[in-house]
Amino acid sequence: MKKIAILSVLVFVFSIVSVSMVMAQAKKAAPASTKEPIKLGVIYDFVGGCHMYSETGVKGIKIALDEINAKGGILGRKLDFIVRDTEGKADVAVRETKDLILREKVHFLIGPCSSGMGLAMQVIHSEYKVLRISAIANTEAMTVDKFSPYFVQVVPNTYMEAIAATRYLHKKVPTAKKFCTIAPDYEFGRREEAAFEEEIKRLVPGVEILYQAWPKLGEKDFTAFITAIMAKKPDAVHSSLFGGDLVSFTKQAAPYGFFQSVPFIALYDFPVLLALGPDAPEGTFGFGRGCFFMDPNPKMMEFVEKFRKFTGTYPDAWAVQNYDAIYLLKAAIEKAKTIETEAVIKAIEGMPFEGLRQKFTIRPLDHMGTVPCYQGTIAKDPNYPFKIWKDITRVPGEQVIRPEASVREIWKKTGVTR
Amino acid sequence: MSFDVLFSQFMSGIARAALLFLVASGLSLTFGVLRVLNFAHGSLYMLGAFLSYSIWKFLLMPVLGFYLAAIIAALIMGAVGILIEYVLLRRLYARGWPEQLLATYAIVLIIMDLVKWAWGGEFLSIPRPKPFTGAVLLFGFPFPSYNFFVILLGLGLLVFLWWLIYKTRFGDIIRAAAHDREMVSALGIPIPWLFTWIFVLGAFIAGLSGAVTAPFGSVALGMDIEIIIECFAVVVIGGMGSLPGTLLGSFIVGEVYAFGIMLKPELAIAFIFMVMAVVLIIRPWGIFGRPER
Repeated sequence: MKKIAILSVLVFVFSIVSVSMVMAQAKKAAPASTKEPIKLGVIYDFVGGCHMYSETGVKGIKIALDEINAKGGILGRKLDFIVRDTEGKADVAVRETKDLILREKVHFLIGPCSSGMGLAMQVIHSEYKVLRISAIANTEAMTVDKFSPYFVQVVPNTYMEAIAATRYLHKKVPTAKKFCTIAPDYEFGRREEAAFEEEIKRLVPGVEILYQAWPKLGEKDFTAFITAIMAKKPDAVHSSLFGGDLVSFTKQAAPYGFFQSVPFIALYDFPVLLALGPDAPEGTFGFGRGCFFMDPNPKMMEFVEKFRKFTGTYPDAWAVQNYDAIYLLKAAIEKAKTIETEAVIKAIEGMPFEGLRQKFTIRPLDHMGTVPCYQGTIAKDPNYPFKIWKDITRVPGEQVIRPEASVREIWKKTGVTR
Repeated sequence: MSFDVLFSQFMSGIARAALLFLVASGLSLTFGVLRVLNFAHGSLYMLGAFLSYSIWKFLLMPVLGFYLAAIIAALIMGAVGILIEYVLLRRLYARGWPEQLLATYAIVLIIMDLVKWAWGGEFLSIPRPKPFTGAVLLFGFPFPSYNFFVILLGLGLLVFLWWLIYKTRFGDIIRAAAHDREMVSALGIPIPWLFTWIFVLGAFIAGLSGAVTAPFGSVALGMDIEIIIECFAVVVIGGMGSLPGTLLGSFIVGEVYAFGIMLKPELAIAFIFMVMAVVLIIRPWGIFGRPER
């Protein structure tokens, strides 16, 4: 017994010493030679519904980096990137984040796809003081509840996205008083529906939420949810289903006449419309994060051509956001004239930026980008072989971002000081 | 709550039960005779779905395309079954369950990466085939006709398996082998041959049910693990290796889920596993199962 006790103390001491040595090394490594490439750690979830978003996200990054490198890089330094897979598991996400920081000595991180992974990673890279930009995952917890100065968000967060979508739904069906919701049962879905409830109560006095369905992420059979919702006879349904789940839901709800009888809004973005093909329900409402048909400005359409030349397909919002993230980082480094993390963070705060989704800034308070949210109504278009949107609304982030006072209020509860 | 609401929820449960029965019957059959808990059954199902998508795309036939694709995909999965049984499983019958689970889990990982490599992560989807595109009215409430097709197919499979197991000589041998494989072998019946065909039948059913799911929702990574967990609940409740047990288990899981969703959606999945826990406490071998000898 005694021997074991001594041994475990020894092991404990040894591990503390080695960890602190590794950490010290990591800190020493920061001021490297100025001609070495700037290294980006790209970490995504190549699994389940996230696989596809992650893949096109990486393509967006690749196109941006190739362009920048062809023009001589940033501050005369080339850009290099390493892609890692979280496998959709928080412990792997943490391990890979550590490995990218400690062993690969990356200067900046981009990713991940799942909000759950993002929250797990945030603890780690904040500890090592490495800046991460999120270009797909969008839980509001990353900028508000669990705020970290080492995190920047260029995706409309769950709060902004749901507020904007709720306003669109209300504008389209102003008389609706009774609602149902259906959302995937995890961080993202819970946050979106909470914001929906908050906003619909502001917009519609005396609103009733009849029923809330929480299918698990990756559900294949929505039949029982569909009949349960229809039995409640709601005036409209708000949903944050997305990806493959939304494809399944749509196909299963159509034979019930669901889309003819209930106004419905969900994340009908480009990949979902593409997968649904002729099954995409015309006249149903969608929200999304900014792809070519949502925001056909000249810069965006130029990117579409580049992306099509590179991959043969149209880019979705995930590619757009990743492309924007790289150029935002470039602008910040050039403004700071160094890649030193604290200086880049300082440069990024409040810096005006113009990307594929037009102008936005990173709010200094919580590092939330004032990025736009888009909504529309599914319709055919003679210019494309798939359905897109009509009646498109582009809501600038400033109109839906959580007010600073409200952010500070939440911080008081969660113990964030800033 | 009015009758039509309850009825339509009940029918949703039946549709889900039919789908579960399709998949779980193959799992239960393999377990009943081979005594191998095939964790990769869900992976064969997923591969069947992806294959049927690609074959459907390749065939480009408006009406028959889907049905042909489903049958071809199921046949291919049968062939994959021969390969898996011959190369791997046959070496594991004498080993313990932990090794069997590990080996079949290895197949899960291999097929997962194979699918990722061959099809990527896109959401694929096949439109509902004619003539099952619309809905029929049941007591004034619409019910998707494709769900009817799935229910009919489930019933068809039930009748076929019942006939095969209880009415044919092959079935006599199967039941005898499930009971006492040494004795059957002593009677001069080649057990390895029998086991290969049972596994092939299981793989064929898995492939077919995967193909049938394709027009129902989306074909995507992750559908393998999702289905296998629910199938385990089905066979644990109904009884491992029992055909009536699988039927009853599917019915219970389907209906508990459907009414759970209506009454307390947050707990719908928990309800299924609560039922499973109760069955495990009262009858650890399942409602129709036999205690292990």
